[in-house]
Amino acid sequence: MKIDAQKVEERIKERLHFSSDIKSRAVKFFNCNVIIMYIAEITDNKLLNDTVIYPITSYSKTITGDKYAALRDKVLSSIELNELDVDEATDKLLHAHTLVLMDGAPKILTADMEKITVRAIAEPPNNLVIKGPREGFNESLKYNLALIRRRVKTDDLVVQNLELGKLTKTQISVLYFSSVADKKIVSEIVDKLKKIDIDGVVDSHYLISYLQKNPHSLFKQIGDTEKPDILLGKMLEGRVGILVDGTPIALTLPFIIIEDLQNSDDYYGQPIHVTLVRILRLVGVVIAVLLPGIYIALEIYHYKIIPLSFLVTIMNTTQGIPFSPFVEVIFVILLFEILYEANLRMPQYLGIATSIVGALILGETAVNAGLVSPPTVMIVALSGITFYIIPSQAGQFSVLRAVACLVGACLGIYGILLFCVYVLAYLSSFDSYNSAYLAPTAPYIASDQKDFMMRATINEMKNRPRSIANNRNNLRRRGK
Amino acid sequence: MKINYRQTCILIFLSQIALKFLALPSLLYTKSESNSIFVALFLMVIDGIYAFLILNLAENSGEKNIYEFMKSCLGTVVTKIFLVLLLVKFALSMANISKGLEFFVADNLYNELSWFAYILPLAALIGYMIYKGIRNIARVGEIVCWFVLVGIIFITAKSFSGAEAESFLPLFKDGLSPLFESAFKYSSWFGSSTFLLLLFGKIDFSKKKTGQLVRYLLLAIVLVQFVYYVFYGVFQVTSPTHNFCLSDLSQFSSLHTSIEELSWLVVALWIVAQAVQLALYGYCFQQAIKYIFNIKNNVFPTIVVMLYVFVLSLIGDLIIGLEQIFLSPAVSVITICTQYVIPLVIFIAGKIKYKNKKPRNKNKDDNQQRADDVVTEHTFKQDDSQSETKKQDGKKGAV
Repeated sequence: MKIDAQKVEERIKERLHFSSDIKSRAVKFFNCNVIIMYIAEITDNKLLNDTVIYPITSYSKTITGDKYAALRDKVLSSIELNELDVDEATDKLLHAHTLVLMDGAPKILTADMEKITVRAIAEPPNNLVIKGPREGFNESLKYNLALIRRRVKTDDLVVQNLELGKLTKTQISVLYFSSVADKKIVSEIVDKLKKIDIDGVVDSHYLISYLQKNPHSLFKQIGDTEKPDILLGKMLEGRVGILVDGTPIALTLPFIIIEDLQNSDDYYGQPIHVTLVRILRLVGVVIAVLLPGIYIALEIYHYKIIPLSFLVTIMNTTQGIPFSPFVEVIFVILLFEILYEANLRMPQYLGIATSIVGALILGETAVNAGLVSPPTVMIVALSGITFYIIPSQAGQFSVLRAVACLVGACLGIYGILLFCVYVLAYLSSFDSYNSAYLAPTAPYIASDQKDFMMRATINEMKNRPRSIANNRNNLRRRGK
Repeated sequence: MKINYRQTCILIFLSQIALKFLALPSLLYTKSESNSIFVALFLMVIDGIYAFLILNLAENSGEKNIYEFMKSCLGTVVTKIFLVLLLVKFALSMANISKGLEFFVADNLYNELSWFAYILPLAALIGYMIYKGIRNIARVGEIVCWFVLVGIIFITAKSFSGAEAESFLPLFKDGLSPLFESAFKYSSWFGSSTFLLLLFGKIDFSKKKTGQLVRYLLLAIVLVQFVYYVFYGVFQVTSPTHNFCLSDLSQFSSLHTSIEELSWLVVALWIVAQAVQLALYGYCFQQAIKYIFNIKNNVFPTIVVMLYVFVLSLIGDLIIGLEQIFLSPAVSVITICTQYVIPLVIFIAGKIKYKNKKPRNKNKDDNQQRADDVVTEHTFKQDDSQSETKKQDGKKGAV
């Protein structure tokens, strides 16, 4: 069937509701009407001119035979072309392709002319490192894939593209090493992604609730990173990565809880120092979640086990405070959370001022006014700061801390201990894509202790972690 | 869902030490004085031997659970009678732990503690853990075990220098009969391997290391002996008045002139071990109910266990009298029967029944190999490259 360029142009415009950003330009090619269609805002105009418009309008050689074939094979030979029917071509137009419609042609010619306008590759603010690569993902899937591809020069890396979102048609890439990742897990993830029926995917976090097995759980079940070296490191351990166009955050699966205790520069530092830092992080987690609850429990129920000199200090400072320890702690936590939220969203120049006002004036005034005691401010502040030892878990720590405070106020130390066992029991009960959430502690996996609290040197880590379900290929390196 | 061999060993370890550090040392002293240390040693060694017997039987029973196994050896009626007796044993053990835990919590940590405040969260926790299954209990046990161990060693070691070895002399001055009387009378506090009967078909033996079990049993025995040595050595004739072994060691030891504050928090960790132990016995209780009444789902038996834990709190007066119940000869006979006679009968019957059968193939498929290491359902095969590494390592004498 032959194309009537004018009619096809009308049909495409009609399908796209005559959107204003759809541009078309008519040119002549040996007395034959040619219409070039594109979306101006996402098309690289220079590329369009240099590779499509100029070659067509300036072609002067004699053509004998099929003009369409000549256009395709001689005039536009410098670019990669597709020959598509009207519907397919319209979809491509929306993906920044330029359409070349020619009277009497059997198909529409399309070529990718995407104008990539993205943020420069920079160090991500949430994954700052002292040592190691500083490149971070940006919002372009193409760039992000390039950052990975540049680091992997083997045929083992598989990139599986999907399109999600009925209205957004967002590009998703599933990445894994074919010889390392468990095929069953890969297909489970891809199947889940394919089944997603949603109008739009704006960010990778839209996919999380579809991919995690306990969507209502407080605990994080899918890893995320903004750094290509971290994504690659995780893929080398058998995980599957998911990149979404329009977001710098890559998702990784399976996820186990120790991942957030580890940091990318752990692998570039001295093992002994890294081990100490990891222990510090774990202690930080305990302080962040339990310290205010324990303080409340000690003040209300177990003051007799506080050392006498310390008890006297606390008694002196808490005298005259009108609130119970629980209300006092909750009040300071609320104050802290409000300041945090305000700081996060305020313009930077105001943010600094708010920090000073919040931390110094509000805290100091509240203590001087006798509303809260200094130990309470100190304990909540310490807990609040330690949250950010593991920033990606700050949200759930905040909830756990509130529960610990409540339990401490109602049941004391006994309640807090039962609460800890409950949390452990809960975390022990779920697995993330065949990987035990608390591995390699429960179940204990001896070989994985080399990269748990203690970190061995890279050459001592001969095998991939068994905590992560992978595809039989357990060996990382041979030899001594 | 199966648990691996290491987790089984840890559960045995926790079970061995569970009831030993509260009232038992002082109770034992009333009968056999400082020689009680040998009573504990004797009964723990027996428990250790039973652990080996039961695990051997469980390994050879294949995928059969205890009900199917006993039914095939002893018939339905005897099986049900045995299961009822085991149910009573676990109910008593739970009552014993719950009572000890409540006294410990109420006396040491609180001036006043409401029964409901004590029991409601505990019953909810136990119910949750039981419902989630043995793998969940085993994993929690795996985590808390080392904290508890370090805590106990920390507390006891602090008082070690105050223990007088001479107070144990002369040994056996009244002969051996008080020791046996004591062993009979306080048998309810022992029998810590019986729970393994209810784990038939739930243990993965593919990575069995007998040495591992020996190590955990020895660790438990050495730990208990160490604590008892320090306890009797420090308190000597006043031992019967110290009903909370661990907390009293930190609080009333002559070495400490004031309350040892840090020790209290360490002692509090003991609560965690007791909760896990309660969940383990609760799980056995639940399994026994399931087998006796042929119930398939977990919900109803779990509710029964939770109600049982809760009922223990409602009958506070009975709880106080429970100690006397545990010390009565009738209960001693029942516990000896369930702890030592029933496992032995099952072992002999099993051996007779299956003596001509070929032993089960130990080289199970790869799915079984992984069992609980990561997750039961995940297949994990050693690839060629890994075997190549092993060969290389072998050549260098690393393996």
